[in-house]
Amino acid sequence: MKKYLITALLPIFTATASELDELKKQIQQQQEIIQQLQEKLKQLQEQQEVIQQTQEKLKNVDGRDPIEKVLSNPFSQAKFVPDISLILDTSFVSRNLTDDTYRQVQIPGFNHGLFHMHDGHGHMPYNAERGFNLNYAEMYVASTVDPYFDLVGVFHLSENDFEIEEAYFKTRSLPYNLAVKGGKFYSEFGRLNKFHHHVWDFADAPLIYRAVFGEHNLLEKGAQITWLAPTPFFLMLGAEALQGDNENNFNRTGFTVNTKRDGSGDDIKISDTKKPNLYVLFIKPSFDIGNTSILTGVSYAFGKTRINHLEDENPHAFAGDTKILGFEFTAKHLLDSYRYLQLQGEYIYRKTDGSKFAYNNAGKLVIVPLEKKQGGFYVQGIYKFDQRWRVGLRYDLINKNDVIAKGKNQNLPDNLYRYSAMIDFLPSEFSRIRLQYNYDKSLFLGSERKTNHEIILQFNLAIGAHGAHGF
Amino acid sequence: MKVFNILILSVLILLTNAKAQLKIVTTYPYIASITQEIVKDKAKVDFLAVGNLDPHFVVPKPSLAVKLRNADLLIINGAQLEIGWLPPLLDQANNAKIRPSASGFLDLSQYVRLIEKPENVSRTMGDVHPEGNPHFHLDPYNIPILSDAITTKLCKLEPENCSYYQENNKLFKSKWNEKLKQWNSALEKLKGTKVIEYHKLYDYFINRYGLVLSGAIEPLPGIPPTGKHLENLIEIIKIQNVKLIMQDVYHPLKPAQFLNQKTGIKYIVIPHDVGAVPEAKDIFSLFDEIVRRLTND
Repeated sequence: MKKYLITALLPIFTATASELDELKKQIQQQQEIIQQLQEKLKQLQEQQEVIQQTQEKLKNVDGRDPIEKVLSNPFSQAKFVPDISLILDTSFVSRNLTDDTYRQVQIPGFNHGLFHMHDGHGHMPYNAERGFNLNYAEMYVASTVDPYFDLVGVFHLSENDFEIEEAYFKTRSLPYNLAVKGGKFYSEFGRLNKFHHHVWDFADAPLIYRAVFGEHNLLEKGAQITWLAPTPFFLMLGAEALQGDNENNFNRTGFTVNTKRDGSGDDIKISDTKKPNLYVLFIKPSFDIGNTSILTGVSYAFGKTRINHLEDENPHAFAGDTKILGFEFTAKHLLDSYRYLQLQGEYIYRKTDGSKFAYNNAGKLVIVPLEKKQGGFYVQGIYKFDQRWRVGLRYDLINKNDVIAKGKNQNLPDNLYRYSAMIDFLPSEFSRIRLQYNYDKSLFLGSERKTNHEIILQFNLAIGAHGAHGF
Repeated sequence: MKVFNILILSVLILLTNAKAQLKIVTTYPYIASITQEIVKDKAKVDFLAVGNLDPHFVVPKPSLAVKLRNADLLIINGAQLEIGWLPPLLDQANNAKIRPSASGFLDLSQYVRLIEKPENVSRTMGDVHPEGNPHFHLDPYNIPILSDAITTKLCKLEPENCSYYQENNKLFKSKWNEKLKQWNSALEKLKGTKVIEYHKLYDYFINRYGLVLSGAIEPLPGIPPTGKHLENLIEIIKIQNVKLIMQDVYHPLKPAQFLNQKTGIKYIVIPHDVGAVPEAKDIFSLFDEIVRRLTND
């Protein structure tokens, strides 16, 4: 019986034994897991302690409850900061004309020298002195105002002067491909006029620009409307109504001139012009031929002229009107992503008509009809031959300089020319080092032509957020 | 007067005709190709930048403003890839419909996970993209995400064609998934291969297929290599046993050839966009060609 029982229990027993082994194994595994978990827990506790200690410390240092030092900055507008950039232009100049001579020379028939000032206000030319020049530090601020407007401000800071160079709004959402711009801005007249100095291909403006518009191009207060016509090629048309500040051509403030130089005669009053005084129209078509983009255009500016030089050593004044016509041509041929050839030229023609007020040797006022028909062009070629290198050549010529007083041509020089060559190195998109040479035969001291050899080493650098430049 | 009436009428007809079809402009050809797959003949698709030039430095020629002038929808890559050339064009185009934040504007970078987003940026890092690497379309797994985003946008703009676009998108994605299998198995053997690229252009592709990036020919983004930097690369190639230079079509080939002469490392020109090489005719053949060139021993 006993034997039976054993034999009957044996399989159960052995089964239990194997199950026991299994259980033991499982228990062992679980113990291992528990151990691991305990270690983890210990680690976590230690970490927690460290954190608590740190928090404790922080609390002690700060002396405040955590509830009071929640990092909240509910009124921060940091994300709305506009694009801000600073552009520096500084140069080293070597010139054969002494600074004294350079201050006195003139482009005959056009203006009273490159440094001419009115009421102590005027623009120093870029690269004015031999040696080191700080041409400007320009502050650029731009942003979208709201869904309807963009706003741009450009503050031209020279060593002792602050000038709002540009400050304008431009619409974002007008229908029919229209846009309106208002404020103070560079006119869309011609090709180079609207570009800031830091994107020019040479360190100075073309001769015809300097002669006709002066050192800061056609920069005016006013309003502009542009329309992109629905043509299969690019066709931009536009019109501007401007106040007419450009003192070379349109100055709008009238003057009073006495019939006697010593002021003992009668006053003749020349009234202010209508304001706005200057209107500009332009049409600019552009199209591509293969890898070449061509941009052309015709611009026309017209307005009344008031020039008051009555306070000068040799007092004189002018009242009349001025018309300026400009033709532009730009062709850019892409060789690859980093190399291109660019050919650019402009012809500008100016016609001024009116009366000149001046005194004769006896000190008596003489009013003579004065007519000016002047024109000239520049043509320049730029070759970007490497990702970081560009070379360029420019030829300037003023070939029409008819100044007709009282029906008699004054026979002013009409072969004013200049050759320029430049090479620039672009370490990055944000810096430019340029070496330029000018052979300038446009400057006169009295009736004597003063040849000007000029070498300019220019550094132009930009920091901050600055919008990309157009074509 | 009659002539005048006819003129006005014909202008009106022209205008209404112009309204009939949605005009889509994309910044890069690859986006145009994906979009074309979705819209088929229901919309006109055009692109601005050509595929064989540097996508960072597109010349903002006025003819591009003409394309933007009449567009109903502008689709951009984003992540600041267009920052150097698109803003002045938008400014010139005077088209309120496609300004950022308008309904006819789509920025694809907002829908993918960007890699290599720097915690800090400084211009000393060269032409760095603060939002991260913008060349995300070279990870083929991102393409269906982009096509979804484009389809959603199109449905918003043209609810009447939505089901058509969704159907096309579904077809496109299933075709794409088939292709992915092919490409995945072909590229399997490249896993672990050490590579160098000219610009950080192929990083998404490299990550996806388990290649190992050992360096770039540019010392910093946008800055051309110096002799010293190339010497360093020669060391890296020798020590790390780098197998391959992934060269793009628009950067000079010279540095890669120089490294090849010095170390014997192989270089392969890899298209990065539709139109970069003649074989890359659309988004499918672009990746076909990338895979073919990489696996063609």
